Amino acid sequence: MNLDPFLAASPLLVVALGGCLLMVAEAFSKHGREENDSRSAGPSGDLALGTAITLITGAIFSAGIWFVGPDKLEGSRALEPYLILDRFSLFFSFVLCVGGALSALLAGGYLPEHKLDRGEFYPLLIFSTLGAMMLAAAGDLLSLFLGLETMSLGVYALAGFRRASPRSTEAALKYFLLGSFAAAILLYGGALIYGATGHTDLAGIRAAITSTAATEGAANPAVLLIGVALVIVGLAFKVSAVPFHMWTPDAYEGAPTPATTFMAVAVKSAAFATLLRVLVEAFGDPALTSWASGWPPLLAFMALLTMTVANLIAGRQESVKRMLAYSSIAHAGYVLVGLVATIKVGGDAQASIMFYLLAYTASTVGAFGALILCGSRGAEAVSYEDLSGLGRRHPAAAMAFSFFLLSLAGTPPTAGFFSKFYIIKAALGAEHYVLVVVLVLNSVLSAYYYLRVLVFMYMREPAPGAPLARPMRSGYVTTALVLSAVLVLVLGVFPSTYLEIVAQAALASR
Amino acid sequence: MATYIPLLLLFLIAAIIAIAMFLLSTYIGPKNPTPEKMIPFECGSESTGGRFVKPSVKFYLTAILFVVFDLEAVLIYPWTIQFRSLGWVGLATMGSFIALLVVGLLYVWKKGALEWER
Repeated sequence: MNLDPFLAASPLLVVALGGCLLMVAEAFSKHGREENDSRSAGPSGDLALGTAITLITGAIFSAGIWFVGPDKLEGSRALEPYLILDRFSLFFSFVLCVGGALSALLAGGYLPEHKLDRGEFYPLLIFSTLGAMMLAAAGDLLSLFLGLETMSLGVYALAGFRRASPRSTEAALKYFLLGSFAAAILLYGGALIYGATGHTDLAGIRAAITSTAATEGAANPAVLLIGVALVIVGLAFKVSAVPFHMWTPDAYEGAPTPATTFMAVAVKSAAFATLLRVLVEAFGDPALTSWASGWPPLLAFMALLTMTVANLIAGRQESVKRMLAYSSIAHAGYVLVGLVATIKVGGDAQASIMFYLLAYTASTVGAFGALILCGSRGAEAVSYEDLSGLGRRHPAAAMAFSFFLLSLAGTPPTAGFFSKFYIIKAALGAEHYVLVVVLVLNSVLSAYYYLRVLVFMYMREPAPGAPLARPMRSGYVTTALVLSAVLVLVLGVFPSTYLEIVAQAALASR
Repeated sequence: MATYIPLLLLFLIAAIIAIAMFLLSTYIGPKNPTPEKMIPFECGSESTGGRFVKPSVKFYLTAILFVVFDLEAVLIYPWTIQFRSLGWVGLATMGSFIALLVVGLLYVWKKGALEWER
């Protein structure tokens, strides 16, 4: 029996098995029954560690298969077209596993502190990560939809995890209703594409478009174009691009912070991975990528809107968590610029997007983690005011927060600087000067609200008598912060080495 | 396009009939309201209680578990018919599928979702 297909799919299998084991272990442990929760210590400690270990193992497997080379494994194509196990999907399983593991570590500190200590959080997190990995590897509209739903269902539940809080419930409900609506739109688009081309697998769609373009001159029957637009809308919802971003601030603010981290990091990366794959592999035909009759103007318009609107609104937020939510929308806009550039410069632009998503993952986990560290039970750090004077009250947390915010703003020598640099370089190579100018202006704009946090932490004193956010202590959160800080620094100091590695993962446009 | 015109006509006629019925009964129907006629219709019996009743979450749990295990049967039936031609690969596939369901069942059981009275 040939075990290579299993080996090629091992990152997915490891994560799935680990999730099942943890779920059963949690149910059979003494914490499993809910009535015990108030009396004994919660299950978070063990489960957070177990989740992190499972997901890190998944990341290690991804990296291992990357170095062996997935094309050297005989059966790695056995699951095509449903799951394409190439370097592209391996790279994203690595990023997603790292993002998931770091979110689990944050949860290990956050949930017990805020009396949310129930074990369901961790299996849901693992299964969502599994769905995200499937989504990134999907090479067929059907498996794409399955992956999307596996990922989203878990995240909907995570968003509403703080059951007693109306805000959290509102977040979950908003995210669920709009999310299922977006999934339906995606499905409708897929159905139209199937009607127009007769295929659901991406390669088949591409071949059908090319052959109709060859025989009939242009491949733009209205049905196909509407289908493409609807699929892009469905995925743009998940990456929260403007004008499909309305749910983001409320869902991000209401969800418990580790769940927010996971939504900002893993859900967004997976959706970008599949957007990239669908655009390059299925709709990469010249007939669909022309500026006159294809999707590039749509994406370029969305990128302009996303960057500008998100940055303008982020500057006016009074809640730091909401500001970070808008900042994550803005970052989606920067990545969209890279997506537009993939038409002309292909591999370079793809590599810049992947680099960006890895750097963004590390910086965002760090920023949310530092925010967690700044608050404690009953006194979560929410507004800028809560952070005032933190530089003296908790120098370590303040320093970590500043570091990750500087990375998000794109300051050297952090990862954020080079990730933005490579996106700009790719967009310049593709001669999208308007997009580049807007991107640069927007990063200047974004510095305002990132630095505003620093101003409050180091230059303001808390108003006398105001309730102070007491910083918490947690080994898990600290570990996650240290790991992401290392990642941010390493990516920022040796960017070209990593860019070369990442470039091997670029999809060959067939 | 011409092939769809009868279909569109059908929709149009259906819409006209539905709207016309409503309008006709509203405008030319005889009206003789009594207090008994004005209460909401509830299968002929006397209506009791308010409109917004919160159903217990137990009904939801039972329903969702039923759906899960019902779908399992839907997947297993076609497999049994093709059992011989699918061979060991089919057995292994279905085995892993059922194993996953058993994991779910264990979880549901230990969490107490199968007990009606708690």
